[in-house]
Amino acid sequence: MSLVYRLLNRPSRLFGAAAIFTFLLIGTAAHAQVDEAEYGAGEKLFKANCGSCHKPDKDMTGPAVAGAKERWDGKGDVHAWIKDSQGYIKSGNAHAKQLFEDHNKIVMPPQPLTDAEIDQVLYYADNFATVNAKKAPAKEAPAAGTAEPAVTWPWWLVIGALFWIVLFSLGGVRKQLANAVREKQGLPPEKDLNTWGRIRRWASRNKGWASVVVLLFVVWMTVLLWNWMFNIGVYGGEKNAHYKPSQPIAFDHSLHAGKDNLAINCQYCHSGASKSRHAGIPSANVCMNCHQAISEGPKTGTEEIAKIYAAVGWDPGTMKYSGEQKPIKWNKVHNLPDHVYFNHSQHVAVAKLECQQCHGPVDTEMDQVQQWSPLTMRWCLDCHNTTEVKVAGSDNGYYQEVHRRLTETPMGRRELKKYLEDEKITVRELGGFECAKCHY
Amino acid sequence: MSKTINPAIIAVATGAMALLGGCTSDPDSPGLEYMPDMYRSPAIEAYVDYGQDPYYFGDSLAKAQRNTMSARLPVEGTIPFAGHEEDAAYNFPYAYPRTEEGYEAAGRELHSPIPMTEATVAQGKEIYDIFCIECHGAKGQGDGTVVNKGNYPPPPAYDGNQLKDLPEGKMYHSISYGRNIAMGAHASQLSPKERWLVIQYVKYLQHGGKMPGEAPQASTTTAEAQ
Repeated sequence: MSLVYRLLNRPSRLFGAAAIFTFLLIGTAAHAQVDEAEYGAGEKLFKANCGSCHKPDKDMTGPAVAGAKERWDGKGDVHAWIKDSQGYIKSGNAHAKQLFEDHNKIVMPPQPLTDAEIDQVLYYADNFATVNAKKAPAKEAPAAGTAEPAVTWPWWLVIGALFWIVLFSLGGVRKQLANAVREKQGLPPEKDLNTWGRIRRWASRNKGWASVVVLLFVVWMTVLLWNWMFNIGVYGGEKNAHYKPSQPIAFDHSLHAGKDNLAINCQYCHSGASKSRHAGIPSANVCMNCHQAISEGPKTGTEEIAKIYAAVGWDPGTMKYSGEQKPIKWNKVHNLPDHVYFNHSQHVAVAKLECQQCHGPVDTEMDQVQQWSPLTMRWCLDCHNTTEVKVAGSDNGYYQEVHRRLTETPMGRRELKKYLEDEKITVRELGGFECAKCHY
Repeated sequence: MSKTINPAIIAVATGAMALLGGCTSDPDSPGLEYMPDMYRSPAIEAYVDYGQDPYYFGDSLAKAQRNTMSARLPVEGTIPFAGHEEDAAYNFPYAYPRTEEGYEAAGRELHSPIPMTEATVAQGKEIYDIFCIECHGAKGQGDGTVVNKGNYPPPPAYDGNQLKDLPEGKMYHSISYGRNIAMGAHASQLSPKERWLVIQYVKYLQHGGKMPGEAPQASTTTAEAQ
């Protein structure tokens, strides 16, 4: 406010401000003058021919294309250079040789473009920054905060307090009535006992009921304790809070794997899932398969990606590895005890289950991964009990052999009849309930 | 009211509430282990921080092990165990260095050990749909989701000027070592055999969605056929 006030009070500064404002106006007007046909044609050519190695505004494998014309001004022919870079070096141009050596001697293949097309590409690159600054979408409003989980315990306190108030007042009323009766009968008032004393008096007068109450209470407590013990170490499923540890890098699965986002296959990073017991936490070199070229994300900007760079020792400025590495310490989400054997490849490569069936909507809802399923034995067996195995016509050699034995031997046919009582062969019937399949 | 509550009850209630209050746990803690004797393998397992485990190592050794790195590279020159004997030859060390000269040499000399059939192309497609489709697109046109949604530098089309005559040795080299900045090395994700299989499908796309040997169809008719 005070700045505006001072400006308004000083005509000369006001004039200056007006000049700046006009300048800005002219500036934006100049942006608006980008020739869209030329720009669009250039964009198409750029993406088809240049985009895998060049960015319009930043260095990648090759230098930023924007400003190439100025950089070449007076040093040589930019068209000839783009059409056939190696030929142009051989023709003896010093700047061409210098450029080649400055960029790790990576050969730019000859480009079958006409001079006019090259001009369109250069026009696109030169205007890329201004057009994109104008187009930059307003930052998305942060998603409405997830609803606070409903807090219920204060209400229980209130209900408890009300209960005690009612109980005490009723007790007081009862005692006063009883004493009034005793007074009428000429007896002394009832002995003033405390709560525990009154409970004992009631119990000694009603021994049968008291023992029933005590028994029920003990049974109830035992059942509660027993049921509660089944939840020790269970951190998923419908009843228990899901285990959702924080992670050193705020990797967002919904951004990378979401169908509406980048839609990267789960197994691109967790490539062990179809081959090994473990799905695998991707090592940072897998991140770098893309993040060599992407240093800024849509949500956290450069902050989180810089942590990968620190871990693998990548300098985004020079685009080189320093060799200094620092392992990332992820927090393990699914902790399956050692007394259970679980194999990812059996479920992914053989059963062809979707990852989401056990891991939940990782690709759509989880910005931070949580344990979705309870990983209890009952949960495993529920699925083994109901999941059908397509034995007939399977392309899996093991099931082909199972099918042969079930159909070609008398004993197998007897077994098959039993299996097919529920009209399908389940995992259970092929050994999915055997203890030693998982516990050994 | 004339009655007071027995102080013992108050004490028990306060104690219970204090205990329950203590249950606001650390969200990063994996929690209680029920009968922890069999939770942790005495033999080394992947992704287990043995430093957390005083059961087998004793406290001092556990402390020394804490925060050591569990995911490590194999010793240099390690030849992986191949599941089948006939696959063993795939896992011999790769002879070409990670240089432009190596790239050119691989293009001249390196050839696929797998003859191209419809079956291998189908196997290659399965791998392609996991590891390549994100950038290169379903038909190898360089229009995958990462390129379209993520503004990733688009790779050239397989059947375009730059790649339509790319020899398979160069493909193998690029998958193993990466190519330029935009394509990273996929050697850690794809075994040598998988690399050769996926190359079969890339060659199929390079040929316009036809087995080489047949006349390649124009891309418009391919689109119609599908």
